[in-house]
Amino acid sequence: MNPNPHIPKWIERLLESVLPDSIAEFVIGDLEEYYALHCEQKGRLMARVMMLWSVLGVCFSFAFKKPRSNSNYRTMLKYYFKLSWRNMAKQKVYSSIKIGGFALGIAATLLIALFVKDELSYDNHYQAQGQIYRILNESTHPEHMERWSAFPPPIKSALENEFPEIEKVGRLINFDWFDAGDNQFRPIEDKANIYENKFVYADPELLEILEIPMVFGNHSALDKPNSIVIARSKAEKYYPGEDPVGKQVILNEDDNSIYTIGGVMEDPRPSTFLQFDFLLTLAEEEFWNGEQTSWGSWNYSVFIKTGKGADYKQLEDKLLVVRDDYVIPYNRERGDQRADDMAQYYQYDVQPVNEIYLYSDDTHDNLQHGDIDIVWLFGSIAIFILLLACINFINLSTAKSANRAKEVGMQKVMGSLKSEVVKQFMMEAFMYTSIAFILGVVIALVSLPFFNVLSDKSLVLPWSEWWVIPGLIAFLIVISVLSGVYPSFYLSAFKPIQVIKGNLSRGAKNSKLRGALVVFQFATSIVLIICTIVTYRQMEFILNKRIGFDKDQVILIQGANTLKDQAKSFKNELMRLSTVNSVSYTDFLPVLGTKRDGNSFWKEGNRKIDKGVGAQKWRVDENYLTTMGINLVQGRNFSSDMASDSTAIIINESMAEELGLEDPIGKRITNSFEPVFHIIGVIEDFHFDSFKREVGPLSLAYGGFGSIMAVKFTSGNTDQMLGQVHEVWDEFMPNQSIRYSFLDDSYALMYDQVSRTGKVFTLFAVLAVVVACLGLFALSAFMVEQRGKEISVRKVLGASMSQIFTLLTSNFVKLVIIAIAIAAPVGWYLMKQWLSDYVYRVEITWDVYLIAGASALVISLITISSESLKAGLMNPVKKLRSE
Amino acid sequence: MKLGGFEELVLLAIGSLGDDAYGVTIKEILKEKTGKNPSVGALHSALYRLEEKEFVKTNEGGATAERGGRRKKYYQLTAYGIKILQEANELRMSFAQNIPNLKPQE
Repeated sequence: MNPNPHIPKWIERLLESVLPDSIAEFVIGDLEEYYALHCEQKGRLMARVMMLWSVLGVCFSFAFKKPRSNSNYRTMLKYYFKLSWRNMAKQKVYSSIKIGGFALGIAATLLIALFVKDELSYDNHYQAQGQIYRILNESTHPEHMERWSAFPPPIKSALENEFPEIEKVGRLINFDWFDAGDNQFRPIEDKANIYENKFVYADPELLEILEIPMVFGNHSALDKPNSIVIARSKAEKYYPGEDPVGKQVILNEDDNSIYTIGGVMEDPRPSTFLQFDFLLTLAEEEFWNGEQTSWGSWNYSVFIKTGKGADYKQLEDKLLVVRDDYVIPYNRERGDQRADDMAQYYQYDVQPVNEIYLYSDDTHDNLQHGDIDIVWLFGSIAIFILLLACINFINLSTAKSANRAKEVGMQKVMGSLKSEVVKQFMMEAFMYTSIAFILGVVIALVSLPFFNVLSDKSLVLPWSEWWVIPGLIAFLIVISVLSGVYPSFYLSAFKPIQVIKGNLSRGAKNSKLRGALVVFQFATSIVLIICTIVTYRQMEFILNKRIGFDKDQVILIQGANTLKDQAKSFKNELMRLSTVNSVSYTDFLPVLGTKRDGNSFWKEGNRKIDKGVGAQKWRVDENYLTTMGINLVQGRNFSSDMASDSTAIIINESMAEELGLEDPIGKRITNSFEPVFHIIGVIEDFHFDSFKREVGPLSLAYGGFGSIMAVKFTSGNTDQMLGQVHEVWDEFMPNQSIRYSFLDDSYALMYDQVSRTGKVFTLFAVLAVVVACLGLFALSAFMVEQRGKEISVRKVLGASMSQIFTLLTSNFVKLVIIAIAIAAPVGWYLMKQWLSDYVYRVEITWDVYLIAGASALVISLITISSESLKAGLMNPVKKLRSE
Repeated sequence: MKLGGFEELVLLAIGSLGDDAYGVTIKEILKEKTGKNPSVGALHSALYRLEEKEFVKTNEGGATAERGGRRKKYYQLTAYGIKILQEANELRMSFAQNIPNLKPQE
């Protein structure tokens, strides 16, 4: 051990800086004496602790008491502030460009930060976080890798009985199925039906698993058969001011669908994966005979709550018991050839509840999803735009350095230290960024409503949260430092002798770095322009591609199921209207949110031999093909006159191909549970699913019914047609208002995400270009100013206008061209990644780069030309007179 | 000139220590007499104030090895300091006399 321990040097320095000089030595001496004493008495560690404690006390006692050696400290601060202010006021254009560009960048960053935070906040509110999971099916088969959420009904008892670590199991049906989906709804006392959507089926346990907060009733609200839980806003709508528990409601005028309200829940918070208003119980529900015990019908999403500390990754492996004991034996027993594939490629995923929203874009679960890639993308765009704004600041500050050089020189001659000059410029940067920051927050607040429309969110700046103000201040400090450090050190490094002699290369120095920064700015802008063009093209492609059916001039009348027996006569009435071409009654339509029915088909007799073809089977009527404008390639349409058509089927081309039928007409095919179908026609493939997937096999069987009437109307007077349809509807259903949508709108809605991504790209691309151009404008103005005399001399010697223009612009044009060269491959790569999600996509052709590059070039030329032209047109006498 | 309670104690300590009054000894005697251990910071800021108010005068010296070669600052009461102590004492006594059970012990 060191026999004579000393107080560490840094503490000594700390104390010296705090204590008045007259007593510093003695206090430190005292502390040292105590330290030595305590070391002896109580050991080194204890002595150290006591010493630090004393030092802390000294610091507090003497804080702010030390008389500053530089007694005009505050005066200097005031002086810095005044100088910065005057500089700012003197050069209004530069200052507003610096501040305006910055404010735009800050506003964009704030908006995106709010967006990202909102996306990341989904399902983080559970008390039993880390114990709530969803179970998914996963196929790792190389030809069809996919994840989906639907399980057969007996999965519930299997999970409950065989896995002690699973405490609760709750199933959910959240797609259009029996009473789930949308319905005509009324309290049993009322007359008028009102359309409501967001119905789901749920097990009683789900209330507890998902910790759904209840207003009336408790978590056993769904325990009784035929009970329903409704959201608070719906309770207020139908039963204002009362507790509706125990009241009855009826769906779709169907006596089999009378439910008793078991409870009222809070409206689901916006940041949860499952948005619904009505929960129908699954207690003792059986949709058809034997359904609940069959491992063959896959319709139920499964949520579980595990015990504390259960390892969900291990659970994934354990769950394979379900596959081996139930699913595979069921399929083997029925001779299904897929059983072997299952043993090899089929497995389970246990997904934490907070990952459902952001990490399930690839999962078939009929839920709204965010996309973690988009979150990353937006996040990086925000950072880039902020960088662009910082770069403007750096570029302009260093470019204008010549104007400040004399000031710095004088200061240094008068005895100013470098650190003081740095302090001055840092303060100036801080002042600029503070103003920009306030402006940026204001811009963000003003534009938030528009951004909400664009991003389909309801974001607010949460002022009341504790972290907001400190967060904003920290953000302000970071960007001040980011943009202030380099100019401060650059400007403070001038040698006074050079400055005053006048041989400072006026701001031209460091033009390399400035050039690089300009290249960076423009490369970023061009990448964003490329992204914008490509997303727009993809959108155009989707909306205008030959999709195999005619989406124009079709309206979909919803809620037709409440017509019941009158449906047929309603349809006939519609057909008689002069403005209507044809009417088809079916639930199966090639837009999202309508019915789907996945089946497996085999050629007759092949069921135990091959694996069959997975195909949709849609129930339609004889008017479907004309109404939807689908082309019949071979054979004939259904006919109401032929009784044998009840077992007729029409298939699409890709189904014919997958079944391996050369001449399909008259061939017989079967799914495993209905009579054998005979093929009467083949239709052209049409897009009935997202463009992200290939058009799959599809078949049409005869027998349309359901809730939707698709009406094809003649071109021309849409209003007249709607009026007529209204009249007919009101005749049939006086108690229920008509509800309809246009097929092309529903179709466009499917690609809402793409069109929104496109708009967001446009917004940010415009922002980036504006910020970059602001910077470029200021830079070019500065260059012209610097080279004023040179230009004048050239003019006197006979240079032409165009020569001067070229001289001034060529440098910048060079930079923009380099930026194009850098941006093209980056943009190509990014967009290739994005497009790879789509099976049907546009090619990225060379003209994308041409357009992006040319527009960047033109915009930058326009930006710099105003200043260059001004210089070229100026009378040379003005600049030269002074010498 | 005001004299704070802790400052008064420190003045008394300096007076009673005679020639050997510097930071460490003052702290020690205060600890011994009052039973409380004043912090180094509080003590020195009191000493600093006393010096500013000219209740004490100082001289420097006595560098030792355990102080890392630093000198000590010795404190002594000034005449003014003694006077202010006297005043404080008289004030105290004038109150004490009126309290029946609180007689100064002879």
